[in-house]
Formats: sequence, structure tokens, C-alpha cells
Amino acid sequence: MSARQVDPVTVQILRNRIAGLMEEMAHQFFRSGYSTIVRESRDFSCVIIDAQGRLIASPPMFYHATAYYYLAQKIISLYGAEGLRDGDMFVANHPYEASTPHAPDMALMAPIIVDGVLVGFSAAIAHKADIGGTVPGSSWGQAVELYQEGLHIPPMRLYDGGVLNADIERIIAANSRQPRLVLGDLRSQAGAVRAGRERMQALAREHGARTLADALDAMIEAAGREIAAAFAKLPDGESEAEGWLDTEGGIAPVRLHVRARVKQGRVSFDFSGTSPQTRAPINLRPALVEACCFHALIGLIDPALRYSDSARALVEIIAPAGSAVNAQPPAPCSSYMKSCQRLIDVLIDALNPFCPGRAAAHAGGSGGSIVVAWGPGPRAVHHNQHEIFGSAYGGGQGGDGASGTTVHLSNIYVTPIEIVETEFPTRVLRFELIPDSGGDGRWRGGLSFRREYVVEQPATVLYRGDKALNPARGYAGGQDGRHSRFLVDPDGPGETSMPPNCRVELKPGQRFRIEAAGGGGFGDPALRDPAARAQDEADGYVTPAQD
Amino acid sequence: MARYRIGVDVGGTHTDLVLTDDEARAYRIEKVPSTPHNPAIAVLAGVRRLIDSGVSADEIAYFAHGTTATTNALLEMNGARTGVLINEGLSGVFEVQSQGRDGWSPFDHFFRRPEPLARPRFMRGVKGRINYRGQEIEPLDEDGVRAAVHDLAGLGVESIAVCFVFSFMNDAHEKRVAQIVREEAPGVLVSLSSAVLPRVREWPRFSTTLLNAWLAPVLARYCREIGEGLDAAGVLTRQRFLMQSNGGVMPLAADAEVHAVRTLLSGPAAGVRGASWLLGQVQGWRNLVTMDIGGTSCDIAFIQSGEPLEQADSVIDGRVVGVPALDVTTVAAGGGSIARLDAAGMPQVGPRSAGAAPGPACYGRGGVEPTTTDANLVCGALNPDYFLGGEMKLDLAAAREAIRTRLAEPMGVDEETAAAGVLRIVNAHMSDAIRIQAAKKGLDLAGHTLVPFGGAGPAHAALVAEDLGIARVLVPRNPGAFSALGLLCTDVRHDYLRSEMASLAALDPAHAEACFAALEAQARAELAHEGLDAESAALEREMDLRYAGQGYELRVALRGLPQPLDAAALGEIARRFHTQHAAVHGHSAEDADVEVVSYRLRAIAPMRKYTPAPEPVHAVADPQPRGARRVTLGPERAFDAVVWRREDLHSGWFSKGPLIVEQRDSTTLAPDGWAARCDEWGNLVLERQA
Repeated sequence: MSARQVDPVTVQILRNRIAGLMEEMAHQFFRSGYSTIVRESRDFSCVIIDAQGRLIASPPMFYHATAYYYLAQKIISLYGAEGLRDGDMFVANHPYEASTPHAPDMALMAPIIVDGVLVGFSAAIAHKADIGGTVPGSSWGQAVELYQEGLHIPPMRLYDGGVLNADIERIIAANSRQPRLVLGDLRSQAGAVRAGRERMQALAREHGARTLADALDAMIEAAGREIAAAFAKLPDGESEAEGWLDTEGGIAPVRLHVRARVKQGRVSFDFSGTSPQTRAPINLRPALVEACCFHALIGLIDPALRYSDSARALVEIIAPAGSAVNAQPPAPCSSYMKSCQRLIDVLIDALNPFCPGRAAAHAGGSGGSIVVAWGPGPRAVHHNQHEIFGSAYGGGQGGDGASGTTVHLSNIYVTPIEIVETEFPTRVLRFELIPDSGGDGRWRGGLSFRREYVVEQPATVLYRGDKALNPARGYAGGQDGRHSRFLVDPDGPGETSMPPNCRVELKPGQRFRIEAAGGGGFGDPALRDPAARAQDEADGYVTPAQD
Repeated sequence: MARYRIGVDVGGTHTDLVLTDDEARAYRIEKVPSTPHNPAIAVLAGVRRLIDSGVSADEIAYFAHGTTATTNALLEMNGARTGVLINEGLSGVFEVQSQGRDGWSPFDHFFRRPEPLARPRFMRGVKGRINYRGQEIEPLDEDGVRAAVHDLAGLGVESIAVCFVFSFMNDAHEKRVAQIVREEAPGVLVSLSSAVLPRVREWPRFSTTLLNAWLAPVLARYCREIGEGLDAAGVLTRQRFLMQSNGGVMPLAADAEVHAVRTLLSGPAAGVRGASWLLGQVQGWRNLVTMDIGGTSCDIAFIQSGEPLEQADSVIDGRVVGVPALDVTTVAAGGGSIARLDAAGMPQVGPRSAGAAPGPACYGRGGVEPTTTDANLVCGALNPDYFLGGEMKLDLAAAREAIRTRLAEPMGVDEETAAAGVLRIVNAHMSDAIRIQAAKKGLDLAGHTLVPFGGAGPAHAALVAEDLGIARVLVPRNPGAFSALGLLCTDVRHDYLRSEMASLAALDPAHAEACFAALEAQARAELAHEGLDAESAALEREMDLRYAGQGYELRVALRGLPQPLDAAALGEIARRFHTQHAAVHGHSAEDADVEVVSYRLRAIAPMRKYTPAPEPVHAVADPQPRGARRVTLGPERAFDAVVWRREDLHSGWFSKGPLIVEQRDSTTLAPDGWAARCDEWGNLVLERQA
């Protein structure tokens, strides 16, 4: 490669231009997407990657970031770089074939070809409302094999030289409970990917395809130097940490264990102590494990560091095949998010000694999600209600954890009450922080929230929760955060506490309540500033101690 | 008699005043140092200075003011102690907000929200509920409200925000709370979410309402002070106005309980409004991109067919504001932006700025880091001896030193090349932002004219235009005072809105007409209350529409449709929506259901605006250039530019570039490949040569 020939100013200008282009793609998609997931929760990402599949800049949805590389590599190995044509666009949602997180996350990827040169790819991954499988929404907390999690598409051409293969759309539509929404979103997604490709082609014509390809190389190398310089400041050493994933129904608990070693600016993560893959859908694929490792590293070293795929050269990941962090088919993996969230907590635990100034306790993880399929009644409902909730951060060196927020890899908007009630036959009775839900400590864990609904028509509620059994752990003497709960008809004679993955049938007038897990506390509670404690009591964040 | 009109724009270091004389169709500029601790002092001092210079106070017919009072209060966290009343059980709306972490690195586990404007101890839940159709399903607990108000008043709140879900469908509960507050706690201001922003989605509405409540006492006090100061100075006109975020003005006496939050983004609005009136409507330039460059940032806006584009939601200092504002994008690229090499050895410019102190290295106030201004000086775009008309001498040696040690030597290039690299990067930041915004709005930049203002704008404009493929740059007569002039180029504009979700296909035209009629009655009543002529006001209707199931709306104008609305008109509205959707998003779906989300009305009460007279082509002798200097824009781009003085140039003047035009408040660069002319309106027009 002759990357050296492009001057640094031009490289920098092109880097900003491409980052801006990714933003443009995301904006176009989000404005034109149809489903709640795209329009309110923004559960999608858009990227430009180089001809090898390497990211130039990371999308805000970082857990998608590492998948693109594997998908591009897979497409190249299937079709050969020479076999790619201008106007092609590939579709895939297969966690094992395409490295996408789970079936609902569908990827589209289009090669960018100018003057016969493969400059890179324009791509997007977006969560689809329903892609078949046992339950509405496709992600079933009790799935025991991949085949229950929906239609799986290995990488194949959705567009061949610019021509839509409508048969694939028909297969997707025939397998989805919400074909209109899914195809609407898929077309918006294709529009965003196409826009990225066209803009990159225009850039290639402006600067020359070769120069653009070389500049991509140079920007990835530059980002790599920046990361290497940051890693070089870590002290050498070794540390380990573990955490447990909630399981139920007689499935053995899953241990996540990591041994982190730092030697001369190189980091290795050895997951050999992690449990074997499990029948519960909480298994991870290597792309997601990588995302967790980089997320924790960047968060602890310097959150302003820019990720690029050149960071891979500095990090070694040992994840034995057949373990829960390198699952093999047909292990189910639709509930990957809570595993990722817990894995990041474990990684932060292990890395805390290397970066004491940014050390932190566990966060509350995924706040859970609901899919509600509405039965008949006076109000016609056209689609499922799908909501994803946040939790809270753990306390950290120098400050309390933030309350009521998505954490780590998740950055998802809450659906407004007024939208929920306008579109679905339900009312939100409570939406408030849970006092005392953050672990006590010198720096308190953040408080999680509860959200309670009353249903006005028959409803099937699918709930997938996290940290119901193993709460967010405190650090350095801090106390654990409160665990999560899912209750039916709370605060009444019929109150029932449900397991963390469940499907419940509710009659009109019944209520259900989600309570997310709070963040862990950091440091000895005896050292907490009395003024901060008084503040918390005045604001109702903690209830005063009873003497 | 009453011939003078005054515009006052408050900036970080200077407060600019423009005085127009309707008889002479000319204007005059004054400048006084700003008084950040209380901006009203400088405003009134400037007015007094004009009067002292011979302008008779009773001949001043109009006073318009762009205030930073609320913006500064927010940035300095100096609002009023504020209480909140919210539906019982729903306080999480304020705690969880969007649930996302916008504006933060996704990797940062030390995420912090901005400090709350009302801590939970100032928040009370009350019983009472309206449903999604606007029906009461639980009565308001008036005793509970009374107790809560009493309680909050006891805590010393000056202002209360009332935030109930679905109040935009039925405001009865919120209105009743306002009455109770007046009874229980006279003197405490009340902001109702149904009055501040009656729009669906509770978090943006509550956030905006709380901000309004928190700012209302601040704005009310400020307006009182300005009003009393004008009275004391003998400026007795009732035509006293404040600039708003939407680019219109409102009376100084407008109701702060509803309008305070509408001044929050008024800072950049005046210049954009000036461009839309003077350049767009008076002079007939159709599609403009404005670029207002100051010390730390560059504000970008678009004007289409004479009207600036607007946005429905903004974020200011991490807070969501849902009232309409001119769509201004701020890029951290200004004269003080600092250039450096990052850890990977790659050159970066901004977002850090040297600000006014220490300022760029060439200011000689102790700055050692190279900035955009230093790069402009080293490249030859700026004249060290004619900055602010020579009032301030720039230290070229210090600028060279900063660039040599921090950039040129580590990069292994000479100083001019390094400085030119800084300019390329900072210009690309601006052009990237313009390109992204244009794409978001579905605009094609070809055919647009770039309008730079603010002192630093005209030096960059031609180079930014080259990046964007724009062929024309229009530099107004006084780029430095353009915002103050813009205050005298606008009308009173009030925005009204009502959310009510319904299928457009199933909508009864009579019902839609009734919704608009109610908004119109509200508008007329408010204008009359403000002492304005409600009958001559233009009332513009719009609808927020979306495809059923989509989460974001497009604003569709109803201009030209019959009143009362009929079925054919609703069909035309649907057609306009499909067309607009295709233009903005690249696709439309004629077979999909279109949903009404909100009805909007804008009332425009026309004001007399500054209207320049065209200047006939001058017959006087050709002006002479004041010299020439070397300008370096890169290793392969350097030229000798002829230097002109702005006051020498008159209508009809033309010259091929490369050239530089210097004036007291700005410097314009027309590089090789460009030509410049002076038009009959006093603009400097740069055009790219084929």
C-alpha cells in the first residue's frame, strides 16, 4: 500500500468527511424508518468500511461495530473481491454466518466500486420488528436452539448489479408477523446504504479511487497509532474478574471469567475460565466479545479515544470454541445484550486496577424489554408494542452513577408515554426512579426506574429481563445495586413476581410493572460525604436510615 | 418626525447598535463594550450615546433588541428557583429524559446529565389524568394541588412549571392549576406545558416548559429594566421588541410565562433574518447559505426563496427545547479555534478555542497555540497593520512562531504549508457541516449563494464555496454589524400549535377548520393584547404530518388552500406531504396512511423594515488599489493578491482576483479563479470564473 503518498491534511479532511457521511446515512434512515424500533429507539447503525471491512470511525451503536468486519470478510470469501459488482447489495442476519448479533439485526452491505477498484463498503445493521420464530418480535428468552429465533439469512445478494431480487423480500415477508413494517424498514435501510455508496463514489471521482483507498488506509493507521499511544500508558500486570449470568428453568448458571494481562502496551483477554455454551439464548459470538473488550478498554483509558479496526492488532482475545463467549451452532443467542452488558462489567472489574482514576462498579445492565401482542377489543391495534429499557450506571471513582439511563453498549430512547398510550390500549401508571435501588458506597450506584402499565385489552406480554438473580456488584467496599423485578398486579392481593424471561397473558384491567436493576456502589459507604447523603434524602433518592 | 429605528445586538465583547434613518434610507453603526454581568447596562449606554450624538429621543420610533439574557442565565445556571407539578407517579419523565446519552462518548461510564433545573425536592405529583383522546379519566385533585403549591411557595419558588400528560389534547387541568397558583401564591409565575408547547411527546414538552418557568422571572426582570431605562432616556415609543429564536420579534412586554424560552436561541437568528429580508426579499437572491463566523464557532443556516429554514426541536447546553427556531447549526470552527497535532500526528483544528483571552498568538496577549486567525495571518489573508482598521496591531512573528513550533516542524513542512493546512481543515469543517445539513434537508447546493458575515466570515467564504461547488459568494456591506442590522429587518412572529393525532384520510374538513379557527382566535387575541394590529396580521397555516407509524413529522404549508378547508384541500395537503417526503427522504408512499400530528399557525404582524435604496453606478474615477501581498493556500497554490480598501469601492466596481478587500470590520479574500464586483446594494459579490 502506498498510503504514505496522501498528505495528512487531505487524510484528515477525508476522515471527517466520511464520519459526516455516516452521520448523514444514519439521519436519513432514522427519519424515514417505519418501525418504532428505528424511529423512537434508533436501534441501528450505518457505516463506511474499507475494502478489507475495517471501520474508519465507529458508529454510536458500538455493538454493531465489530460485526461489519466479519461480514465483509465473509462476503469476500463467498464471492471473491472480483466477484463483486457495482450495484450489488448483500443482506444477512445469521449470527454464525454473518456475525450479526441475533436474527432481528439485519445487515445490508454494498461494495463501493469505482473504475474497477473496490474502495470499500457502505453498510447498515438495523433491528427488525419481527423476523419469525416462536414468539412475536423473534427474541425469545426461553429459546434453546437457534431455529426458534426466526428466519436466518446467510449473506446473499438482495440487489444484483442494482436489480432487486424481489424473491428475497417475499421470503422475508412470508416469515414475518409484521411484513409491512419489516419491508418498509428494509427499504429505508437500503436507501441509506445506497446514499453512502453514491457519496463515496462521488468522493472517489473527486480524489481518485486509488487515492481514496490509500487515504482510508492512512486514517485507519493513524487511529491505530493514537490507540497504541494510549495503550502504552497502561502499567504491565495481570488481573482477573468474574460474573454470573442469570439462568432459570434448571439451566446451570453461566460464569463469565476473564484474565486480563497488559504487557508493554499490548492487552490480552483470556476467557478460558468461562462456562461452556448454554441452552439459554445468552451465548455470544466473537464479534460481540470483541466489541465488549474494546468498549471497556476505551471507557477506562479515555472515552475520547476513537475506535478503528486497527485496534485489533494490539489486543489478543482467547475465547475457546464451544464456550459461552464463542458459541457454536445451534446455540441460541437472541438475548445477547444482557450477556454483553454483564461482560463489560466483568471486563471493567478486571481492568479497574490498570486505570484507577476511571474505575467503576457494575452497571444495572439491560433494563429489560417488552413485546406486547394486543388481543381484540374496542381499539384496533396494527402492530406489536416493543419497548427497550435502560437501568443505571454504577458509582465510580469521584462520582455517583447516573440514574435511569441506558448503559455501556446500549443507547436507546425510551418510548414517550403519550406515544404508547395513543397507539396501544394501555396506560402508564408509574414511571419513576426506585428509591434505594443504587448500591450504597462512597460514590453511590445510579437509581433504576420502574414503569407500570394497565392493559385495557387482552395482551400477551413477553418480557426479557436482566440482573434479577445476580445484581450489579459493588466495587471496593460498595454495596450491590438492587436486582430487577417483573411483577404482575403489583401492590395488590394478586401480586406475582415473574421469572426474568417470561410470557404472560393478561386480561383487561390487569397491570404489569418492570423494575430495572440499579447500579453498584463504589467504595466504603462510611466514607460517603454527609452532604451528598443529605441531598439524596431530600430528593427521595434514598430513604432515611431507621434508628 | 419619528424617523429613527434602533437595533441593538449583544455580543461577547461588543454590543453593536445600528441606527436607521427612514428619510435617508441609510444606517449608522455604533459599538460599546458589552457588560456581561448585566447586558442591559451596555444596551442603555449605547442608546444614550446615540442620543448624545444628536439623535432626538422622540424621533426614535422603534427599538429592537437581540438579548442574550436568557441564554447567559442558562449557561451560567442563574435561573429562578422553580417548582414542578406533574402527574402523580410520572416524575421519571424528568429523571430518565430521553434515556439516551446524546452528546456523550458511548464509551464513557461516567455519563452525567446537565444539572437539573428543579431538583426532585421541588417537584410534586398530583392526581388527575387526561387520556389520549383528551377525555378526563381521573379528576384533578384540587386540594392536593393547593397543598403542593403552598408547599412549594414555602420553599421559596418564584416560578412553577405545570406538566401533565395529554394536556395538549385538553388543557383544563393545567389551566385550573394556574388559577390555584394565582390564588395560593400570588406573584409566583406559572408556565403551563399546554401553553408553552402543546405538542405530543411529553419529554420535549416538559423540558421546554421547565426551561420556560426557570427563565421567565429572569426575562421579566430584564425587560422591566430595559423598559424603564428607555423611559428614562426619553425613548417613549411603544414599539419595543425582542428578537426570538424563530427569527421574528415579540413585544418587550410579551408574556414571559409563555414566551421566555422563545428567546433562548435568538442570538444567531438576527443575522439570518437580516440575510433573508435584505438579500432574499429586497434584493431577490433565492437560495442562500449563511455562515456567521465568530471567535469560537461558525453558525450555518439556509434560506430558501427568501425564507430561512426552521427546526422544531433544538438542544442547547444539553437541554431539549421544542419551540420553533431558525435552523442554525453551530460548528466549533472560528477565528480562535486552536490547531494541534493529535497523538497519531494528525493535524486537528478545534473544538478548543483560545477565545478572547488569551486569544490567538498574534493578539500578543500570551497565547502560544496557533489558531485559525494566526493561520490566516501567516498565509497572507490578513493584514497585521489593518486589523479593526489598524486599531489593533497583529504580531506576525508570534503567529509564525506558534505555527512553526506546534505544527510545521513536527510535520516537516514550512510555515506557510502548515498554515494553509490549518485553513484547509477548518474550511472543510465548515463545508462538511453545510453538506451534511443540506443532505438532511434534501437541498441541492448547486445554485446556492454563500453569505459570510461576522468579522471572520469573508476571509473563508470563497474557499468554503470551492469545497462545496458553490460559484457565488455575497459579502454584505458591513459583515461585522450585520446581526444588529438584521434586528431591523423583521416582523412580529408568534407561533401557535395544537397536537391532535388523526388519520388525514378520515379527517373531517370542518373539524380541521375548527382547529385552525381556534388557533386564529388565540393569535388575534394575543396580538390585540400586545397592542398590535391583529387585523393586518398574516396568518399562515401548517400541518405536521407523517406516515402512520412513523415517529417524526414533516411540516407542510397550507398556503394557497381555500378557507374553510374542504375535502379537495385535504387531498392537496396529502399530495404536498408525499412530494415533500420524497424531497427530504428520497422516497414516498402514496398508498400509505398519512397521519395528522399537529396543527400549526404562525401570526405575522408586519413591521416597518429597513429597506435600502439601490446605489446608482458611480461615475467617479476608478478607485486605486492600496498595494498587493503574497497569499499561500498550499504547496501548489500561492499568488500575489491586489489589496483594495472597502470604502474606495462603489457600485459598478469590478476586478478579477486574486484580490483582498480590507475594511474596518472584516477582510474579504477572492483567490485566483474568482472575480469581485460591487453591486448596487453595497454588497461585494465574488464569482467563480469559468
